[in-house]
Amino acid sequence: MKDLKTYLESGILELYVLGDLSSEEVREVEDAIAQYPDVRSEVEAIEKALQAYALSNAIQPSDAVRNRVINSIGGSEVSETPIVPLRSAGTASNFYKYAFAASVALLLVSVILLINLNNRLKESNTQLAVLQTENQQYSSRVNFMNQELEDSKKFLQIYQQPAQYKLVSLKGTPKAPAASLTVAFSPAKEEVMIDLSSLKMPSNDEEHQYQLWALVDGKPVDLGVFDSTDDHSGMKRMKSVKGAQAFAVTLEPKGGSVNPTMEQMMAIGNI
Amino acid sequence: MSRISKISLSEPELVQAIRTRDRKGAEALYDMYSAALYGVIYRIIQHEEIAEDLLQEAFVKIWNSAASYDESKGRLFTWMVNIARNLSIDKTRSKDFRNHSKTEDIENIVLSVDKGFTTSINPETLGLKELVNKLNPDQKAILDLVYFRGFTHVEAAEELNLPLGTVKTRLRNAIITLRKVFN
Repeated sequence: MKDLKTYLESGILELYVLGDLSSEEVREVEDAIAQYPDVRSEVEAIEKALQAYALSNAIQPSDAVRNRVINSIGGSEVSETPIVPLRSAGTASNFYKYAFAASVALLLVSVILLINLNNRLKESNTQLAVLQTENQQYSSRVNFMNQELEDSKKFLQIYQQPAQYKLVSLKGTPKAPAASLTVAFSPAKEEVMIDLSSLKMPSNDEEHQYQLWALVDGKPVDLGVFDSTDDHSGMKRMKSVKGAQAFAVTLEPKGGSVNPTMEQMMAIGNI
Repeated sequence: MSRISKISLSEPELVQAIRTRDRKGAEALYDMYSAALYGVIYRIIQHEEIAEDLLQEAFVKIWNSAASYDESKGRLFTWMVNIARNLSIDKTRSKDFRNHSKTEDIENIVLSVDKGFTTSINPETLGLKELVNKLNPDQKAILDLVYFRGFTHVEAAEELNLPLGTVKTRLRNAIITLRKVFN
C-alpha cells in the first residue's frame, strides 16, 4: 500500500489526466486504473477538479458557431445513414410521377392552345378574304371613277377648246320635233364625238339603232350607231371623218345601214 | 446570453447519444461542453476566428471518433478536452499560425488568459472564480500554462526555469487545491 501511496502522489496521474504522458506511461496508468480502485478514484477526482476548473474558465462562443458546429456534425450523420439511398430513390420515383403529371398537363395546355390558334387562324383567313374582296371592289370602283374622271376631263377639254372642237347642235326634224343632240367635231383631228348628256331622242326598240351621218360634199358618210339609252354622261367617240359640212341622225335597223333611210331622219345640224 | 433552451444529459446518456449519432446528442454535447472547450482553445490560440474553427474541428473529431472513447479509462470531458487541446497545440505549431501570432512572454500570457473575457455564467460554477483565485499564484501559473496554454510539464519547467520535480509538485498541489474547492 505504501508503493501505491507513492504512486498516487508522484504526480503521474495528474499528467495522465492532462494528456502529458508518453503512450507507454499511459498504458501503465491504464493498467493501474484497471487494477486498483484507489487509482481509479484518484484519477476521477483529478478529472472532476480539472473539469470544474475548465467550466469555471469557460468562454461562451458566439451563437453562430453553435449552428455551424451542430450542422457539421449533423451533416456527417445524414451522409452515413443507410436511409439516404432509399429516400433518394423515393424522391426519384416521386420526381417521375410529378414529371409525368407535368408533361400531361403541358400536353393538354398545348392542345388547347393549338385549337385556339387554329380557330383564330381560320377567322383571320376569313377576314382576309373579306378584306380582299372589299379591296377589289374599291379598286374597281376607283378604276371606274378614274375612267369617269378621264371622260369628264375630255368632255371639259372639248368645251374649253372651242378653237379645236366645233360644237354642232342637231335639231329634231318634223318626224321627231323634240329630238336634239350635240356633236363635237374637230376638223384638225378628224374626230367626231357625241355629247351623251345632250342626247334627247325617242327611245329605240331592240331591232333599231340610231345612226350618225356626216354630209361630206353632199354625200352621207357613216359615223357609227348609238342607242338612245346609252349612258347619259360623257362623250361617245364616233368614226372619224374629214371635211364634214353637216351631221344627221337616222333610225336604222340594228347595226346600221350603208345608206341612210331618208324617211327616218330624226335630227340634222349644219356646221 | 439568451438563446434556445439548452439540452443537458447525464454523462452515460450523453455517451450513448453520441454513439447512436443522434442529433439531440450533438446539441446536448455542444450545449454542455462548448464553452468549456472554447475556453481552453481560445486561451491557447488567442484568436477568435481560428479558435471557432478549431472548436468546430474538435467537435467533428469528437463526434466521429466517439467509438474510440473508453469510459473505463477516464471521463468523457477529459477525453474531449485533450482532443481540443491537442488540435489547438498542433495549430500553434503550424507554420501559418506562427507567422501570424507574435510571441508574448509568460507574464503577459497568464494575464491575458483572464483579461477581457466574460466567462460563461453557469449556475454550477457560479462563484467558483473567486475560489479559483485562492490558488497560490505559483501553482496557478503552472496549471494555466499546462492546462490553458498547452505546455507540457517539461516545457513549463524550461519556461519557468524550474526543476521538473518542482513543476510536477506544484501542478499536483494546484489540482489538490482545486479538488478541495470543487468537492
